[in-house]
Amino acid sequence: MIERMDLFRTLAERRNDEIVVMTMSATLQWPLVSSHPLDFDFLAFGMGHASDFGLGLALARPERKTIVLKGDGGLLMSLGSLVTLGRYGPGNLLVLLLENRSYEIVGGHELPPGADFAGLARAAGIEGGGSTGTGKVERIETLDAFTAALPRLLSEDGPHFVVLPVANHEPLPAVAHTDHATRVENLRRGLGVSDG
Amino acid sequence: MTTDTQRRDEGASAAKTLRSIKALEFTHVLAIPDSESRLLFEAVDADADLDLIVPCREGESVAIASGLWLGGAKPLLLIQNTGLMEAGDAIRGCGIGPRIPLRLVVGWRGYASAAAGKVPLDSAYPYTEPLLEAWGIPFWHLMGDDDLGVLEQMDRAASERSFPAAVITGFGYRP
Repeated sequence: MIERMDLFRTLAERRNDEIVVMTMSATLQWPLVSSHPLDFDFLAFGMGHASDFGLGLALARPERKTIVLKGDGGLLMSLGSLVTLGRYGPGNLLVLLLENRSYEIVGGHELPPGADFAGLARAAGIEGGGSTGTGKVERIETLDAFTAALPRLLSEDGPHFVVLPVANHEPLPAVAHTDHATRVENLRRGLGVSDG
Repeated sequence: MTTDTQRRDEGASAAKTLRSIKALEFTHVLAIPDSESRLLFEAVDADADLDLIVPCREGESVAIASGLWLGGAKPLLLIQNTGLMEAGDAIRGCGIGPRIPLRLVVGWRGYASAAAGKVPLDSAYPYTEPLLEAWGIPFWHLMGDDDLGVLEQMDRAASERSFPAAVITGFGYRP
């Protein structure tokens, strides 16, 4: 089990010019360790669709990695997206599935306990798949192992789907939505994309 | 209900529709096959200049399209009205709320049989236009080749308002 804030601190220290898309609880804690023009808060953009959105971004911006921080509850809302990743996921997409087995942001209600998310991802064709044929599915259970794997995850071709069992013992900041359109404008500005 | 606008044209040519789509410089088409759009889907799939993405459900399509657009691409969504209904939360969150100019071509399942006076009505039929109206999404009808210019109107409206816009097709495509 990995403390989520330790994971975020480790990722923030190693991250360079990658896009980071976050949703749900991650939107509350990632900003405590990162303030980057390529951070994108997906909260309230579409339930369960953060990695779908990340897939689109990664396809449009092949010159850099897109990292998605999403939870297992969100994944259950769009399980079919695993199959889509298995077919179209590009080499520059890294999905970090924060497995806390709960709908944490709304009160911690339990998820179905038996789901094997790495197994689902493999069965969906991500392992050895994606548009590159080099997709990888991993389950990383300790911070040390994540720290060791991170340089590889940020540099080698994926797509990568990494399941990370996490816990959180630090206070969650209150939800504070910013304007959706402003988030969009900021990311497009950060990417140097013009109107269209 | 839209009986006053119903027409009995035979649908647009898939080849001509594809030419119109390419003229508007779309980069990606997101689509899940359905009975009415089959020929256009196949035409897009066979075209080397357009990247076709076939997700599992329409909410995915919308979220992928919004990510593509944020990254600087220009995606087009081919979506049946049933999928439009499934994708409601994604259209709200990835289009309407953030004012992302999603371009949609919506297949109007139930229109052709309703236009022919067949009963019972497909339950997908009566909600298509009211749903778009409720969301404030402007739309145009593409019922035959003479209407192909509405694709450009839809594209321009999406761009000018930075907001989703749609074309509705009432019939299946012809070759």
